[in-house]
Amino acid sequence: MAMHNDDSSSSDTKHSDGSNDLPGFSAENLQSNMKVIYYSRTFLSIIGGVIAGILGLTGLKGFVLYFLIMALASLGLAAKARFSIHEYFDSWNRVVLDAVLGGLMSFVLFWTFAYDIVHIF
Amino acid sequence: MAEDLVLDSAIRDWVLIPLSLVMVLIGILRHFVTKLMRSSQPPDIKILKENQVVMRARNLRTCANLIPAKSFRSRRVYFSNEENGLLYVPKGQAQNPQAQMLTDPNMATDMMKKNLSMIIPQTLTFAWVNFFFSGFVAAKIPFPLTQRFRSMLQNGIDLSTVDVSYVSSRSWYFLNLFGLRGLFSLILGEENALDDTQRMMQMGGFGFDPTKSLSAEKDSLDIIQHDWALPRIEQRAESILRKLTN
Repeated sequence: MAMHNDDSSSSDTKHSDGSNDLPGFSAENLQSNMKVIYYSRTFLSIIGGVIAGILGLTGLKGFVLYFLIMALASLGLAAKARFSIHEYFDSWNRVVLDAVLGGLMSFVLFWTFAYDIVHIF
Repeated sequence: MAEDLVLDSAIRDWVLIPLSLVMVLIGILRHFVTKLMRSSQPPDIKILKENQVVMRARNLRTCANLIPAKSFRSRRVYFSNEENGLLYVPKGQAQNPQAQMLTDPNMATDMMKKNLSMIIPQTLTFAWVNFFFSGFVAAKIPFPLTQRFRSMLQNGIDLSTVDVSYVSSRSWYFLNLFGLRGLFSLILGEENALDDTQRMMQMGGFGFDPTKSLSAEKDSLDIIQHDWALPRIEQRAESILRKLTN
């Protein structure tokens, strides 16, 4: 997807070298990588909401699906960064936790929407 | 109580979808209107200068170990010198920019305009929803909530035996309000600023940021211990070469 291409092309110019002790995160690359995470998560939460609605999941099962999708997203992002997270982000928390809660609202909205349209016709 | 109510599909067509569509369109409209209104303001030179100084100081801080000790110290003195250092702001002056920013007519009207452009569409849409779409069940949210939410979510519906999952259109409006933020950030790029808090931060940043961040930069610059990387370069080169040739 286009977003993942952005991830690799921008993170190739990422500053920090893993093998020495010189500091340095290039701030704009860090920020652009954050944006990639944010956009991927938002997009996935919308799609996940529609899927949950169409499948007719209710209650806890829907939230389980949401967290499952977020975990898969984290895994995908980590794999794309070739598992050397410290070259592209400043901490693990970013990859795993960022934008999870923000995507929750979009997920619920589209879940409600799809569920109603499909099931409560 | 746990059985599914059958809702008219006309509700689907004439309430849910139009409401979401209207909110999306209003958001897009507001985005373009704020963009148009914002372009008529030239950037403030003083703020720009201060931001650049802060960025220079920050660069110095991050690359402190890459330059010899003496040049680092001379640069640091240039920044944090008591008399004419760039980062040094005497206490008396520190208050003025803040007060000035708040009472400056341009700033004030700008802030007001931006706040209004945010509040008015929301209020109007809310009033519209309340007027037209009240008194019936609009949607069913797919997860169960406790009884306390009943008064909040089922505002127009006067039956108390209906499941809390069946909500009125007012709650659909609120759900849209929060959920469409993600959608807007995808379709409008980063410049949509639909968050109240985000906008407050941006506007507050103009008046208060320069003086506080200047002194913060000065303090962090003073703290830095200079540790020149050159003596260790040989070891670094050796380890990198070892890694490459193995």
